Amino acid sequence: MNTTSPISGRILVVEDDRRMADSLVSGLTGYGYQVSLARTGEEAFFLVHSTQPDLVLLDLTLPKRGGLEILAQIRAEQLPTRVLILTSHNSVDDRVTGLNSGADDYLGKPFSFPELLARVASLLRRLPAPPRSASLQIADIHIDTKAHLVSRSGTPIDLTPREYDLLLYLLEHRNQAVSREMLAKDVWRETSRFTPIDNVIDVQMARLRRKIDDPFTTKLLLTLRGVGFILREPEQ
Amino acid sequence: MKFLRPTNIRSRLAIWFVAILSTILLLYISAVFVFQYVLLQRQIFHDEIQDVETVEGLLYFDQHGSLQLEQGYHTHQQSRLLEDRLMEVRDLAGNVLYRTDTLKGATLGGTALPDEGIHSYNERSTTLADGTRVLLISHIHPVQGKPVLIRLGYSMAPLHDRMLYFFFLLLVATPIALVAAGFISYSVSRRALRPLVSMASRAEQITASNLHDRIVVENPDDELGHMGRVLNHLLERLQQAFAQLQRFTADAAHELRTPLASIRSTGELTLQHDRPNASYREAISGMLEETTRLNQTIDGLLLLSKAEAVQCDSEPTSFFLTELVHEILVLLEVLVEERQITVLEEYENAPHEPLVADRSLMRVALLNVLHNAVKFSPDRSVLRIVYGSIEREGHIFHHISIHDSGPGIAPGEHLRVFERFFTSAVHQATAFRGSGLGLSIARLIIDRNGGRINFEENVVNGAKCCIELPISTKKSKTA
Repeated sequence: MNTTSPISGRILVVEDDRRMADSLVSGLTGYGYQVSLARTGEEAFFLVHSTQPDLVLLDLTLPKRGGLEILAQIRAEQLPTRVLILTSHNSVDDRVTGLNSGADDYLGKPFSFPELLARVASLLRRLPAPPRSASLQIADIHIDTKAHLVSRSGTPIDLTPREYDLLLYLLEHRNQAVSREMLAKDVWRETSRFTPIDNVIDVQMARLRRKIDDPFTTKLLLTLRGVGFILREPEQ
Repeated sequence: MKFLRPTNIRSRLAIWFVAILSTILLLYISAVFVFQYVLLQRQIFHDEIQDVETVEGLLYFDQHGSLQLEQGYHTHQQSRLLEDRLMEVRDLAGNVLYRTDTLKGATLGGTALPDEGIHSYNERSTTLADGTRVLLISHIHPVQGKPVLIRLGYSMAPLHDRMLYFFFLLLVATPIALVAAGFISYSVSRRALRPLVSMASRAEQITASNLHDRIVVENPDDELGHMGRVLNHLLERLQQAFAQLQRFTADAAHELRTPLASIRSTGELTLQHDRPNASYREAISGMLEETTRLNQTIDGLLLLSKAEAVQCDSEPTSFFLTELVHEILVLLEVLVEERQITVLEEYENAPHEPLVADRSLMRVALLNVLHNAVKFSPDRSVLRIVYGSIEREGHIFHHISIHDSGPGIAPGEHLRVFERFFTSAVHQATAFRGSGLGLSIARLIIDRNGGRINFEENVVNGAKCCIELPISTKKSKTA
């Protein structure tokens, strides 16, 4: 259960929209993070220095002092804080501007909460990508990442390369919901946000489920309606 | 020196015109002056020769042995006074035999030159004792068997006076001509530039609210008319862009309201009574699904506006159409397999040239069309993709047709399917509901690349989408 236990970390949410801020704070707190909130740029400056957060979730459009200004300040003072930009300006240019200004990551609004959690976890682990161990396991599913072999309860399962990638991704995000957007981006490598492949993902997921779940009594791969999918370890 | 640099074009034109004109006039006057002077001098020389030949015959020695000029031919004695010729006759020893009164006793040309007057007229210029410039010729002629040297000259003073007079006349006339030319050029350029003033004042009045107004073009063929037309084209494009923006806003508002209404009513209904947890879960899931739909609509609308702007700033790459279609088919493979659809690809003299376009946008366009075809194909049916070429107005186009065996397109909806947010009135296929933007996006992208897309109308079963894309005539960069 080590991956479900939240990674401890101090997070500063800089967001002026009250509802958005509240849901971010409660959502992240629910996953065990110590979250503080700043609604204005000035407050953010103060809290960056007083609480020394490990990660700042930064909205770019703030009253008084803009998000990019705060980011520039953090970088100028060489604080060890990681910065994840959250913004509704989703064009490639904005993204490039944000990352060029020294942000560690960039997430466009509206984002799916599972994706935010995945990004936050990854940033707090301070690793660009978690190293892939030679074998991964959830319940009785076993993946040999070297030989690309999958088995459940010792029965080898023959997967297509895409199904294998999908399962690996779900396993790396075990016990976390993954949205279709995350899958489109990370497994299918679709860069365009408007790519109507949701049914491709659904069908692919159904086929994977047929292979890894249908012949077995314990179901591990679940659909969360409206959210996405989750590969969950059975509750004991 | 700032006052010499007037800001308006007509003054500048007038000043330039006057400056150039005065330079040309000056050069012209100098040339004419020199030419005229030389010409007149030649004429005098010529007259002198004529005169010397005449005078020769009139010279005679009187009974005292002194040389005389015959004067008896004058009808009026006072006519003699009109003669201003200067003449001196010497014998070959240099003794002066005769002098005209006009010389007033002064010598003409001094001592004799060697061989003077033998082979030529020895034309030369000399100065009399009183300072008068004289053009002089010499000629040796026997008078009654005795050779004499005749020197004959005319004073240059009258010529110089006349040339000076001519010069002063030009000096006075030139500034008057220049001033007149300046005024005329000023008023002509003002008249020529008048349309510019009216165009400017008209353009100043055009704002976002009256973008349909156009600049009045008086003469469409001249430069200003051309500029007016260019400005009008600009206004037209602006107006179109503005209309597109307005349409985008209206479409967006309409299409975003629908899922919002659904989210709102789901929330309201759910909270009216206490319900079991599963019911809340159900409601929230429904709301999240609607959010996804909202999100897709927004992404689609943004993609539309991106595709609309693509003409100006896209960086086209060169790629092969078949290769792109295969990439998309790989993406859709799982759907194709699941529904046991057979994809048949046929090549009918397909061109070998690559396509030059924004690949990622073209991919979105073709993905939308192919995805639709797969979506509407019944299980175990055939999807036929034919690559070929077509010639239009002398240009070769890629032609790709995608023929599915689905329900097809209802009569009268062949064009409307490309409208934004179009949903068929005939096929109430909610299972197929998408954002309603896929085909609009596809058409916009293909249009912007100089191609065309349409559904063939007389197709018996299914829908047949035909796409034409131009083969670039430019040297294409290889991607």
